[in-house]
Amino acid sequence: METPRITVGMVLRHLLMLFILLIFLFPIFWMVLTSFKPAEEVLTRPPTFIFQPTLDNYRYAFEDADFSLFIRNTIVIAGLSTLLVVVFGSLASYSFARYNPGDGHIMFFILTTRMMPGIAVVMPFFLIFRDLGKTPFGQALGLGLDQVGSLVVAYTVFNLPFAIWLMFSFFQDIPTELEHSARLDGYSRLQVFLRVVLPLAAPGIAVTAIFSLMFAWNEFLFGYILTRDAARTITVGVSGFQTQQGILWGPLAAAAVVCILPMLAVAMFLQRYMVRGLTFGAVRG
Amino acid sequence: MATVRLHHLHKSYDRGKTMAVKDVSLEIADGEFMALLGPSGCGKSSTMRMIAGLEELSGGEIWFNDTLMNRIPPKGRNVAMVFESYALYPTLSVYENLAFPLRSAGKPLDEIERRVREIVGILQCEDLLQLKPANLSSGQSQLVGLGRALMRQPNVFIMDEPISHLDTRLRSRMRSYIKRLHIELGYTMLYVTHDQEEAMALADRIAIMDVGQVVQIGTPGEVFHQPASRYVAGFVGEPPMNFLECQTEQNGGSPSLSYKGHPIPWGSSEHTRAAGQVPRDVVVGIRPFYVSLAGERSASHNVPAEVFVVEPMGDTTVVTVKAEDTRIQIVGEQKMRVNSGEVLWLGFDPAHLLLFDKDTGLRLG
Repeated sequence: METPRITVGMVLRHLLMLFILLIFLFPIFWMVLTSFKPAEEVLTRPPTFIFQPTLDNYRYAFEDADFSLFIRNTIVIAGLSTLLVVVFGSLASYSFARYNPGDGHIMFFILTTRMMPGIAVVMPFFLIFRDLGKTPFGQALGLGLDQVGSLVVAYTVFNLPFAIWLMFSFFQDIPTELEHSARLDGYSRLQVFLRVVLPLAAPGIAVTAIFSLMFAWNEFLFGYILTRDAARTITVGVSGFQTQQGILWGPLAAAAVVCILPMLAVAMFLQRYMVRGLTFGAVRG
Repeated sequence: MATVRLHHLHKSYDRGKTMAVKDVSLEIADGEFMALLGPSGCGKSSTMRMIAGLEELSGGEIWFNDTLMNRIPPKGRNVAMVFESYALYPTLSVYENLAFPLRSAGKPLDEIERRVREIVGILQCEDLLQLKPANLSSGQSQLVGLGRALMRQPNVFIMDEPISHLDTRLRSRMRSYIKRLHIELGYTMLYVTHDQEEAMALADRIAIMDVGQVVQIGTPGEVFHQPASRYVAGFVGEPPMNFLECQTEQNGGSPSLSYKGHPIPWGSSEHTRAAGQVPRDVVVGIRPFYVSLAGERSASHNVPAEVFVVEPMGDTTVVTVKAEDTRIQIVGEQKMRVNSGEVLWLGFDPAHLLLFDKDTGLRLG
């Protein structure tokens, strides 16, 4: 008796979902389409949907505009900074969850460092790395202007507070009795952390890693100010297709398509952790 | 197995601001079942964790047989523990959980396998081996927790409120199970609990703690019949002991006792002997079992009381009465017929009156 009504409701709901999806996915669809269009068809009116696809745009982006270097830079920077964030973040976060040093004041101080907008600290960062790059230490670690190391440090500094706060609740949710039990069974403090705590905090760490990775991947301001050519990142690279001769829509779209693919892959791979991780408390035995 | 001796154990937190354990000295004999009893926050868990090596000592010494344990990490102490929250590793199966203590000790696989089978045989839970902890009931979880603790031959076997999370029926089953296990295996056991009934039922001796100190150590019979203080008397026994604020008076050689003007017969030689030192204001304690009710006033039944509630418990009846603002509970026979609102006369068995100092709470005499 109620079957028809549900069907009508379901149809409406799916229509609505379709409509919303269209709104959100159309720009991406347009981008993918444009990346395969020959230059003369990019801005035709009305827009063409059927055309002879070409790889010219990709060829231009990667051979003439050096986009592969930007991608390599971004992978190194985002990957390294995420690794550092996860390593330092989990150690710090675990300590806060278990020992609460500073009665919460240190924890709060760490959060306050994140309250500063990026634009406020980008000049100090510029000056610091300009000077650091002239020292032997800075040169050894690649910490200078237009060097990969400085962006790794900048992104790590920016992501750490967030990571510590995000992972905090995950570590707190792990019962201390589990650690006690493992220690009685012969594990050292470090072994307990590595073999008991970390595996249980895996969903939280995965969420933290993906957020950190996305931030580094999408960041523009620091990448723009601190680099020129050699350490340029993709976001800045994409903006480089706005030339004095006009916007090179085709190569820009091609570069953008390549940019979103890795993030898409990572998000799909870590999706199950994300869903579990964002619901929290997933580790309660 | 080992004899465990605690010498003047201290534990403070927040750089000495909070004293959790104050001067606790205790000896648990080899193979003894000792219960550490007290309300939450009395320091029993801190004491237990120090014995296990999970917490540093602020002062004192812990000895296992002739070895000083103060600086020895948990893994060197060979202490097995059962936790209130089971503390099973959620990512491991029951088999892997059981195998964990031996695996981390680097024992060969066939030995682990053999021991797991042995333990599973004792606990009769073969069918659980492949399950994950999330799929176990609370009773099964604690069975596995117990099994994991049994895997090694520990110096000391510590149980931290092991059955507090279980429902009533399961709790009493597990309780007798644990006692039987102790009889069969003969381990030195320390059982931490806030439930006096568990402590009484299980332990050879009970150490009762209050605000960081051990206030009495004794067999269940001793702490029940000769409590050292009002605190112990009130903590042990269900329904709890009744307390009445009374006055003593010296009439020549024979001292007398009265509750708000109503005389209470008081005659045992033990009391008379102590009477010389007894202060004027005392607290009289009497177990609900030794209070009786009478319809008529008599020499033995001298205190008027109004019946407040009557709770039939099946084989007994618990009657709560009000005698001059003080509530008193009486455990009587099942066939006792009284109704709320009735005024009756209370009698106290003189042989079972306990006197406590009103200020210090210590038992007199």
